[in-house]
Amino acid sequence: MTPPTLIRLIGASIGHNGTPILEGADLQIARGSFVGLLGPNGCGKSTLLKTIVGILPILKGRMEFPEDGRPRFGYVPQRDTLDAVYPLTAFEVALMGTYGNLGLLSVVRGVMRERTMQALTDVRAEGLARRLFAELSGGERQRVLIARALAADPECLVLDEPVAGIDQATTEVIMDLAMALHKSRGITILMVNHHILSLRGRADEIVWIAARGLVSGSADVMLSKEKVEEMLMMGGG
Amino acid sequence: MDLLLEMFSPEFLLRHALYASLVIGLVCPLVGVYLVLRRLVFLGVALPQISAAGIAFAFFLHTLGFHLYPHQEEEQLMALTGSVLFAVAALVALVTLERRGRGVVEGRVGVTYAAAAAAGILFVAANPYGESTLLSLLRGEVLGLSLSQFWATIGVYGGIAVCMLLLQKEFTFVSFDRDTAITLGKNVVAWDLCLYLIIGLAIAFGVMTVGPLLIFGFLVVPPLAARKITRGMWPFSIVASLIGGVTALIGFYLSLRWDLPLGPTDVAVACVVLALIVAGQTALGWIRRA
Repeated sequence: MTPPTLIRLIGASIGHNGTPILEGADLQIARGSFVGLLGPNGCGKSTLLKTIVGILPILKGRMEFPEDGRPRFGYVPQRDTLDAVYPLTAFEVALMGTYGNLGLLSVVRGVMRERTMQALTDVRAEGLARRLFAELSGGERQRVLIARALAADPECLVLDEPVAGIDQATTEVIMDLAMALHKSRGITILMVNHHILSLRGRADEIVWIAARGLVSGSADVMLSKEKVEEMLMMGGG
Repeated sequence: MDLLLEMFSPEFLLRHALYASLVIGLVCPLVGVYLVLRRLVFLGVALPQISAAGIAFAFFLHTLGFHLYPHQEEEQLMALTGSVLFAVAALVALVTLERRGRGVVEGRVGVTYAAAAAAGILFVAANPYGESTLLSLLRGEVLGLSLSQFWATIGVYGGIAVCMLLLQKEFTFVSFDRDTAITLGKNVVAWDLCLYLIIGLAIAFGVMTVGPLLIFGFLVVPPLAARKITRGMWPFSIVASLIGGVTALIGFYLSLRWDLPLGPTDVAVACVVLALIVAGQTALGWIRRA
């Protein structure tokens, strides 16, 4: 049985400040799938993610959530976009994932703290809770940001270059963690990633942003040597 | 010691000025932490000047025959209106331009500072009436605070403190990671405006009470000092506030003891506290490495 569609883009134009980066894009994300998003720098991968999670407005076309409306997203931004001047502990950063349920003037309740600690434990970062977020290594920060996304109890985890600038061993740890969450909880994963190899054996589907638009297909086909070479020749990476 | 005890006696002549200084010293750093964290420290220099220009502009309008609050004791209210409007409008405009990435931030803030300083002086020069009242408002004469001004200061800064403490998690979240806040349904524009309004009010009211120099000092120096010795947002805010309060108290004492001007004395004390913390940290670093 084909899994239901969670997110659908129809003829979508996406971009910043009214200037499109990508036009006429059609895309379907199935519930429970692990989708890798590839493409060259500046092609609009992060912009596409930001449009899907509602940070940027869609410029033209439509975005639909055919099931029960907009799914709960757990967004993991590029960690370098977060300023190190904030004296926040890792726990405080992860706790922010629970703020979606917080009403005006509400206080942080014990259950929110427990859920945050559980999320940190799930990503094996409970030992980092009291440390300053700014003092953590790239891989540790990434685990804390994934914990924050998990604290939001997401249906769809959206990760923007989670392994950029991270060594190979830590890349494997992060990717295995994403895979484990995908398998154990059935969370839909949408991930921008420059490491083609790290997606092999993990992603179900690959969306490649090429010069002429989106090209998508099963990971087995899209990550085959021939297809990768073809996409690179087309200016897709 | 006698002087210190006298300062807290109910008969102390300048008690209202002392308490107002303490409250401003305690509350301004709670607001200032966001100027530091959002890297808007330069704005902390420019905004009090803009606020002062707003006061001068309100009086200039008064001279031309415009009355914002007819048939009322309007000098203070008019000055406050001009001050708040100028500060909030400038803050929103400058931050919006920064978010759109247009031009050079430092250049914009520098030009705004120069323009506001010049405008303030020109508005005063164009005002043939009430120049001394106006200059007194622009300097911020905390020692001459009336009872009504004192209670207004307590009310405004008390309200600001409650807002900053109750809304700290939201202000921190939208400041630290705006994008994720949007994905979790936060109206970041509304939260930003709310924060700017509070910053504008704190600056505008403070400029009239203690003057632009001291407001800038209280907004920026205590948070910079607290940033070096705290981890976590609550400790950061509370320690910054305490440093501001202690600075205000020591500054008031020294000002009284040696007949020094209060504003510069407070700022000098705050800078000494910051220098001591930096020196202490450096010394600790050396000891640990040794």
